[in-house]
Amino acid sequence: MHTRSAALIAFCDAETGAYRSRRIARHLSKCETCRDQLRRIESEKDELSSAGARAPAIGGPQGLAGVLSAIAAWQDGQSCAAASELKSRLQWQIETYFGSPAVRVVERPGIRAEELLGRTSEILDVFLGPNAAEAVRDDVLSGLAFAGPAGETC
Amino acid sequence: MAKKTSLDGLDSAPRWIVMFLGAYVTVNLFVLYLWNAAGQVFSVQGTSDSPSALSLTGMAAVDLWLCLVVLRSFPAGAPLRSTWMLITLAAAARAASGVLTEFLGTNWLLNPLMWSAQPKSGLIEQIRHSALIAGGPIRLAILAAAMLAVLRILRKFGFWARPTVTDWAVSGIVCMFTLSRFGEACAASLAGRQISQEDWISLAGLPILCVLSLEAMLLRRSVARMGNGLITRGWVALECGILLTVAGEVALWVIPHYSQTLPLTMFCALMPVTIGSVFALVPAYQLVAQRRAMRLAGSPPEDSPEGVPELAR
Repeated sequence: MHTRSAALIAFCDAETGAYRSRRIARHLSKCETCRDQLRRIESEKDELSSAGARAPAIGGPQGLAGVLSAIAAWQDGQSCAAASELKSRLQWQIETYFGSPAVRVVERPGIRAEELLGRTSEILDVFLGPNAAEAVRDDVLSGLAFAGPAGETC
Repeated sequence: MAKKTSLDGLDSAPRWIVMFLGAYVTVNLFVLYLWNAAGQVFSVQGTSDSPSALSLTGMAAVDLWLCLVVLRSFPAGAPLRSTWMLITLAAAARAASGVLTEFLGTNWLLNPLMWSAQPKSGLIEQIRHSALIAGGPIRLAILAAAMLAVLRILRKFGFWARPTVTDWAVSGIVCMFTLSRFGEACAASLAGRQISQEDWISLAGLPILCVLSLEAMLLRRSVARMGNGLITRGWVALECGILLTVAGEVALWVIPHYSQTLPLTMFCALMPVTIGSVFALVPAYQLVAQRRAMRLAGSPPEDSPEGVPELAR
């Protein structure tokens, strides 16, 4: 019967009692498989220790900046996706209520998502009435994590 | 997405209108076919025009009701409020004209003005003329103002298109027709022939028809820049209604001049109901668009069929 991995890890960390340590040592002297397992655990521990030494501490200013930039990058990705989704939803609404050629008139080249939202809202407000236009706006924005002008970067 | 084919509610108003018009035209054409097949042994010119008057007035009432529903959705200060107000007034003028002409302006048994010992024929005649003015020049002038308002708004949003040679040509034809009508009236007057009040009322509406025809052509160009959306269909119906009105006026003048065999009464019965139905499609399509928007907001979004937020799912 081989020694379990958890017991080997504890043995490695000298967290097992004297009696249990003796038993594991006795088994290791006889079992090649468990010796291999112990060697693997020790090498992984070493790798983790060296990686920890190389990485900056999270409490330090560099570590915090790294975490913040990672969050910003993630948010940018999210915002880009939301803006793109918003644009395609708005185009679909313009196409439904006015027609495909109207999309070219309303959507100028390089228009930002929030500008397109504003223009579409205005035109729907005029031609559909405020209540129906608001309903369309709600429908377009539903389930969309669009942060608006501040969040949009693409 | 499955297309909705239900005929319930206001969403299906355009379908009902088109179905009614289709049935009406089919029945009339069938009668015309029978008349031709029977060797024209009886005169269709002499048949009663009550069914067409009833259909026309009924359609005008439906148009007015739909316009009022649309008007309610545009609060005071909304840019298209004035346009819809004018379209509603035009529909009201048409409905009032229909009721007054057919109910109070005709010598028939159900007219209360005929119940007295001495029927008030003069009053009945006056009511009929007032109704013709309301449903003719006044309604056309209101429509011209409505068209102007909507063209301004379309221009503001970049849907404006310059009139082309075709547009000018169509307007030119209508202007020539107007001049011909006025010329004919002047010639008749100089020859000492009496021109009826109905003719004067009809003549008064012709200059407005010239303006309306140009506006309709401009609306056609502007709407073509939009496409074929739900809102656009209403404006296409308005443009078609006006162009049909113009075509009807021209045809009513041209047919008796060049053909004595075509049953004019049949044409007179078909044309106003067709025009009335097309005008009723204007608010009907607007309602379809508005109700679709409201329905979408009331239902859960398509990406979360059970209404559960995406994050929670």
